[in-house]
Amino acid sequence: MSRAVIVGGARTPFVRAFAEFTRIDTIGLGVAAVRGLLDRTRVPWSEIDAIVWGGVILPTGAPNVGREIALDLGLPASVEAMTVTRACASGLQAITLAAAAIERGEADVVIAGGSDSTSNAQLTMPQSLVHKAAPVAMSSKSGPKDYLRLLGQLSVRDDLLPKQPKIAERSTGQLMGEAAEDMAERNQVSRGEQDALALLSHQRAAAAVAAGRFDDEVVPVTNPDGETVFVDQLVRGDTSLERLAKLRAAFRKGGTLTAGNSSALTDGGAAVLLMSEEKAKELGLQPLAAFRSWSYVGVDPADQLLIGPALAMPKALERAGMELADIDVVDMHEAFAAQVLSVVQALESDAFAQERLGRDAAVGKVARDRLNVHGGSLALGHPFGATGARMVLTMAHELARTDAKTALLGICAAGGLGAAAVMEAVE
Amino acid sequence: MTDRLVQLAADKRARKLITTLGLPVPLPQTLERGKGAWVAQPLRGRAVVVASGPRPALTEVLATSLPAAGAEPYLLETDVGPFRASGEAWGRLPHVGCAERPWAFVVDATGLRTPADLRCLYDLLHPHLRSLGRSGRVVVLGRPPSPDDVPRVAASRQALEGFVRSVGREVGRRGATANLLWVAEGADSRLPAVLRFVLSPASAYLSGQPLRIDGVVAAASAVPHSRVLDGKVALVTGAARGIGRSIARRLSEEGAQVVVLDRPEDAELASAVAREVGGVYLPCDVTSDDAAATVHDFLLERFGRVDVVVHNAGVTRDRTLAKMKPERWDQVIDVNLEAVITLTEALDPLLADEGRVVCLSSIAGIAGNVGQTNYAASKAGVIGYVRSLAPRLAARGVAVNAIAPGFIETRLTDAIPVATREVARRLCNLSQGGLPVDIAQVATFLASPGAHGLSGQVVRVCGGNFVGA
Repeated sequence: MSRAVIVGGARTPFVRAFAEFTRIDTIGLGVAAVRGLLDRTRVPWSEIDAIVWGGVILPTGAPNVGREIALDLGLPASVEAMTVTRACASGLQAITLAAAAIERGEADVVIAGGSDSTSNAQLTMPQSLVHKAAPVAMSSKSGPKDYLRLLGQLSVRDDLLPKQPKIAERSTGQLMGEAAEDMAERNQVSRGEQDALALLSHQRAAAAVAAGRFDDEVVPVTNPDGETVFVDQLVRGDTSLERLAKLRAAFRKGGTLTAGNSSALTDGGAAVLLMSEEKAKELGLQPLAAFRSWSYVGVDPADQLLIGPALAMPKALERAGMELADIDVVDMHEAFAAQVLSVVQALESDAFAQERLGRDAAVGKVARDRLNVHGGSLALGHPFGATGARMVLTMAHELARTDAKTALLGICAAGGLGAAAVMEAVE
Repeated sequence: MTDRLVQLAADKRARKLITTLGLPVPLPQTLERGKGAWVAQPLRGRAVVVASGPRPALTEVLATSLPAAGAEPYLLETDVGPFRASGEAWGRLPHVGCAERPWAFVVDATGLRTPADLRCLYDLLHPHLRSLGRSGRVVVLGRPPSPDDVPRVAASRQALEGFVRSVGREVGRRGATANLLWVAEGADSRLPAVLRFVLSPASAYLSGQPLRIDGVVAAASAVPHSRVLDGKVALVTGAARGIGRSIARRLSEEGAQVVVLDRPEDAELASAVAREVGGVYLPCDVTSDDAAATVHDFLLERFGRVDVVVHNAGVTRDRTLAKMKPERWDQVIDVNLEAVITLTEALDPLLADEGRVVCLSSIAGIAGNVGQTNYAASKAGVIGYVRSLAPRLAARGVAVNAIAPGFIETRLTDAIPVATREVARRLCNLSQGGLPVDIAQVATFLASPGAHGLSGQVVRVCGGNFVGA
């Protein structure tokens, strides 16, 4: 079996929804990220076999975003593509699928990543309108009278007002922020701890931006108005605990979650280039990192919606034959500070390990100095489908340019899903 | 069939009016029953108050099992340490004190040794019992009294029974139940599954009952909490209608392959049940000479084994003994007792390890009833049979139990004259008749791996009926 390696990648700057990227849809963001990847890696286009893309808010007219990216870029028609969704773990899912395809011998060179444009979430008309109107509209026998009768049957409130999109669990109806609020309460995670984590995330991200740490990853993107965005727009290096403490609870009266310690609605795209180790050698490309293992799990969405990583990360470690102590850097998606802290608590708890993982002792301590070393989604933003790819990209570079040999990724996702992966440096 | 009083009492205005006027009309509470297949966390979002008497033996067991079942633990006089650890694992950290409106009180009275120790029951529950929620639960845990105990200890332990039965009478108006779990030394690990069931809405009509949990039956290899009968083969006799049909449905919802057995005369009804539960209809009259062989051969050929046998088929042929024709006597004994024994014996070679046998007895078999000498004899016989069979199959991990339903709203009880029926319904803690599904829930529990702590027992599902022991 030939090992799949990551040889490079690129992402757009991450931008708050309804700001600079409002008029760039998820396909456009994907195009920008993949174009950056092609420019940076200089991979011959004829070698590319496929694109595997991840997304959460998929455009109804063209849900196979990956294929649209290939076509828009003018990649050879032979570059086939698919688009997958696993909520916020979609980007990682696309990448692990690509790695699996390469290791199975289905492909040699695959572009994988994800994008999402919250600014372009579509408003939908109530399905009752479709059910009432479609039979009239689709019948060749319908006359003006039928249309008039139809109009008489429609109620403005129930049939004609578009439904507002929201991030709610379909099975429970609960908003994700409310679920995270529940987790903060269940695990007794205080407002202060949450704000502190958010502050750390911003400070680290700001330091990384200032030091040019993301320069190899982020490509400038110009919007249709001719404005060019060079760096991540959500990072606030100058924020403070005092400022964060002033924010109002966002999801529940008297709650501890605020706009400051929750990730923001974001537009962005990220992509990585994977290929077999032999192919990289053949093409003279320097591998950055490879996957040692990955895992996906499900928990009951009505219980602790976003606790999944606490089960997925130990499982990935087990598959890699490793312990948390063997890991040099940990990168966790920061959907909410409360969720990250709940997962960290669980990983550090003997009782959690004994009762839920069948282990004798806790998975291990997650020291702050190796957790999200360049900030996370709280500071950088969270374009759903792109986040997993952003994490893989940053960790691949981290493994290539520092002494760190291993990285552990953890992502929580809607539907009670958890995702994790163990990455390793390639000598 | 419909209980007008339950309907009336469910109407807020009517309830208020009747209470305000002080009319002598019982207002039975609509019971929360739980719907559909059992879930991993039946107690999610429910506050469960754990109150401990002196020398509690089950704190650890409660600490690990209640949060896993989704309960929010509140502690009265209970060691917080074990609950803190487990709360971490399940995101259910303990609260100290009583909840505002608890779903349940679990009292650990395992350490009682003297009559003075009984005072803890008063001290723990007296200040808080009034706050118990509608359809709530009181569960008292004790060590089973035995003649081998020091007499003083035996007395203290036995006292729990009277206490729990009376608490059941007291909280029944709210639709709440009280039950006693006697956990034998060494059988603590068998408690969680039983406790989970008794605390869940599925046990709605089980009240005032002492259940003995022991380690006599070989332990189940796994105790699932949801889809508890996944892949099991279950035979239900008399499954064309009523309680049998309800049992077939529940077993199927939990993943069992159900063989719906009923008389060829009921082919239409029985095959409809089989279709509904995705099972098979086996036409068979259990009293025919070749019945046992037919069932045995069918199961052998089709599945090669049977995991669960529910003896539900039963008939009544009521007459006072003085007026009863001999056929009526024979029919009842044949169907209700002889067929149960013959069929169980015939199926013994097919009965899988960790199998379950559930027999339907009756409250008449315990208390007796006018005009039911034949029926009561047969149903009391079933109790004797279960008690004798249980130890014989224990080593194979097979549990054998009986259910004695109280007043259940079925075709049988519909036939009772209106006035008698109306009175009969009210003669229990919950002031209402049970539904077939209430029996089916208990049957499902007794058929599940989690019932490995119970065998040779008679579980009365009667809403805490006033008659019988």
